[in-house]
Amino acid sequence: MTPAGWAALAIVSVAAPVTPGIVEKTKSLLTGRRGAPVLQLYADLWKLVRKGTVYSRTTTWVFRAAPLVVLASLVVATLFLPLDGRGAPVGFAGDIVAFVGLQALGRFALVLAGLDTGSSFEGMGASREVTIASFAEPALFLCFIALVLATDALSLGGMLGTPLAAAWPRAGASLSLVGICLFVLLLAENSRVPVDDPATHLELTMIHEVIVLDHSGPDLALILYGSALKLTVFAVLVVSVFVPRAGLSGPAAVAVLLAGLGVVAVAVGIVESAMARLRLSRVPQLLVGAAALALFGIILQLH
Amino acid sequence: MTLFAVSVALIVLGGVAAAALPRHPVAAARWFRLLFGAGCVTGAVPALAVLGGAFVPDAHLGSAAPFGAWVFGIDPLSAVFLLVILSVGAACGFYGVTYLAHERGHRAVGAAHLVLALLVAALALVVTARAAAPFLVAWEVMAVTAYVLVVFEHERPAVRRAGMIYVVATHTGTLLLFVLFAAWAAGSGDLSFASLAAHPPFSAGRGGMIIALALVAFGLKAGMVPFHFWLPEAHAAAPAHVSALMSGVVIKMGIYGLLRAVALFGPPPPWWGWVVLALGAGSGVLGVVWALAQHDIKRLLAFHSVENIGIILLGLGAGALGMAYGHPLIAVLGFAGAALHTLNHALFKSLLFLGAGSVIHATGTRDIERLGGLARGMPVTAAAFLIGSAAIVGLPPLNGFVSEWVVYQALFRGGTTSDAMQFAVVAAAFLGLVGALALACFAKVVGVLYLGTPRDAVATVAREPARGMTGPLVGLAGACVAIGLLPIVVVPPALRVGSVVAGVPAGAVPPGDAGAGAATLFAVALTGSLLGAWALRRAFGRGQPLAGPTWACGFATSSPRMAYTASSFAAPLLGSFRSVAGVRTDRTASRFATQAIDPVLDRVILPAWRGVRAAATGLRAIHRGGLSLYLVYVMAAAVALLLYLMAAGGTP
Repeated sequence: MTPAGWAALAIVSVAAPVTPGIVEKTKSLLTGRRGAPVLQLYADLWKLVRKGTVYSRTTTWVFRAAPLVVLASLVVATLFLPLDGRGAPVGFAGDIVAFVGLQALGRFALVLAGLDTGSSFEGMGASREVTIASFAEPALFLCFIALVLATDALSLGGMLGTPLAAAWPRAGASLSLVGICLFVLLLAENSRVPVDDPATHLELTMIHEVIVLDHSGPDLALILYGSALKLTVFAVLVVSVFVPRAGLSGPAAVAVLLAGLGVVAVAVGIVESAMARLRLSRVPQLLVGAAALALFGIILQLH
Repeated sequence: MTLFAVSVALIVLGGVAAAALPRHPVAAARWFRLLFGAGCVTGAVPALAVLGGAFVPDAHLGSAAPFGAWVFGIDPLSAVFLLVILSVGAACGFYGVTYLAHERGHRAVGAAHLVLALLVAALALVVTARAAAPFLVAWEVMAVTAYVLVVFEHERPAVRRAGMIYVVATHTGTLLLFVLFAAWAAGSGDLSFASLAAHPPFSAGRGGMIIALALVAFGLKAGMVPFHFWLPEAHAAAPAHVSALMSGVVIKMGIYGLLRAVALFGPPPPWWGWVVLALGAGSGVLGVVWALAQHDIKRLLAFHSVENIGIILLGLGAGALGMAYGHPLIAVLGFAGAALHTLNHALFKSLLFLGAGSVIHATGTRDIERLGGLARGMPVTAAAFLIGSAAIVGLPPLNGFVSEWVVYQALFRGGTTSDAMQFAVVAAAFLGLVGALALACFAKVVGVLYLGTPRDAVATVAREPARGMTGPLVGLAGACVAIGLLPIVVVPPALRVGSVVAGVPAGAVPPGDAGAGAATLFAVALTGSLLGAWALRRAFGRGQPLAGPTWACGFATSSPRMAYTASSFAAPLLGSFRSVAGVRTDRTASRFATQAIDPVLDRVILPAWRGVRAAATGLRAIHRGGLSLYLVYVMAAAVALLLYLMAAGGTP
């Protein structure tokens, strides 16, 4: 972990709310609107932090703990990422399981908080969230399996770090398929179009937004920041697979990463402007299709 | 071994004390707790010492004992299972005292405690037996005592049916074990495990048959798909603490048998490893899909045992493949993961069954659709159940994550090899699918049981049970957290167990602790972040939080009938798995209901059973009930045997 890597960790943590800002700005420009400023989320967070909180009488401590678990799990997940393209602050054999486990921990907390309110809307959202995750998680594992086969590394910092550059000439086709699959998973895990529409106005059609309907004030701020961080973490995965940066100097690697995050955010914005949301029953098909891409990436490397 | 013998004696004495004082229930309970608890603690001492690296010599009973040698011993593999038996046995025994207390008037509660003590003693003897005869005797005592406990509420027809299915399944397994030992030991000396190991069956060309027999016989006990059909029936019918002991410990004897068989057998053929891996993936996915469809809390938990046996088998399969293809590190990691997940599953599954028992005790129903909001009346049970749920889903920083991580590591390391072993890496995706589906299922259980609003009057009056029932829950939850926070303490002994099974000298395989040190740092960092987030949250926020109704999206009233039900919650996922999900839909003009069925039991086993019975009626013709006729049959059989021996030329 180079000094540039630590700097990147600080930048990513602080600048995470910019990523959804870029997505929204892209959508606005493509649909002919001026749109909110890129830094809008900071203003929203600042407003929410200063507000009071309202808790439903139905809820228990589970509801209050959920935003904390979401935040903590995502913050720890960023520690496994090789932000400077070389290595990660924390890493051990099989830490990809820990990375996926952290996403699952945050989801479990949020889903239980939704069920804790006793509202049928939030129950519906919780049910959809776990359904989609049940298809997304095996696909994510297939991506990591393909990366293990390509790099012989067992940690996230290893397989997206130095060994990846050597793997691209050998397994380029396979890694491209993995990158595409990861981009689809980014859309699904972060509740973007075509899986979920964050801009919808009807609770019946929402997934992520409806689970957090009852959260307010600082709790909602923690969840919104967590969502931004999660989008950024997945964007880092996509950028790291497509652009191995071990050959660059530390600061250059971080600069390329940040530029890459911007490109991914713009790409998400373009997808959201160009596509409509899929019918919910079609979402598993999309994710199984993405998993098939990763599986092909694996088959290309088995011999 | 002396301590171990004392421990078994104390456990049995505790049971006898409970049964011998029917007139003095308080004294009986006190003596049972004291002796039974002391026995469990005494037995844990040698087990912990062996896992720490100590050596305990085998104990040989006198040569006058029948059916070959009677040898007992504790090696790391025995020790880890002994710990499982004693810790979970103690929790279930203590819980049972309070759980059954209100039955004292009209049932033989003391006898039930005695049978439970005998079951725990038999289990301890199964894992320490070092010869075929004591192993089979202890195995049979275990099967019969478990049957007696399953049919404790024998006046209910469903319980008797479950008991019958269980007893048929377990005796089929025992029969196969007799065949297994007979085939393996033919030609060897004294039926002790040492001589079985020294007598590799491949020299006689029977190796494939023997290792396949072991898989079927022990797989029946473990409840792997497609031999799981007895498990949900029996585990749902038994009293809660017996369900906990059966799901947590008794089915693990199948896993112990498989690990012991591999240790004695040496490297198995590759096909065996692939079959185990495939059975593991199948049990894992099907077990959790079937669990999603259940509305009966105990049947749901029982199907999760099938799922977790699948996870254990994935580790075992990876280990067997590592042995077969000559990758000792993968073999050690795979078996270590299987052993560690056995321990962890025993802890959180017994916790969940006991938690379910407390809910049934408080509300009188097992139908989760009628419950809800129990976290208010039963906060301790709810918190412990939540910890157990997060652990079984494999979330960090709890114990389920640690063992699943070791299994994953074995599978991923398969991907770094360059022979056929690398195909095993794909099994990791199945493990991922199992984990995600388990999360869905336990979100459903915790959400519908403990959170939200009560759906029925029984759930509003539910209160926390007595300390005798919450205590074991808290203890088990504490163990789940401790193992999850300190992988560095549990992973090295697990690797020692893996080395014993894989037949490599302990410590001969790099990398020391398999990353357990870094994993410990991770668990501590995650806990630290949680506390940090809590502190941060306390710094925010103005004044006292307000309380209000749940936002119902503009609707003025909301009623518990509007809350999402367990069936609706699971419906989208079950729809995706429609053909294998085991859900029967009854739809009429006025009514819509779904009912969970077991596809294997209802579509395969029971029709086959009816076929056998129909064929057997044909045999009735020769049974006329006359003694003289039967004597003629006996004589005819003896004459036929004589003729056969004459033709074959003497005794074989």
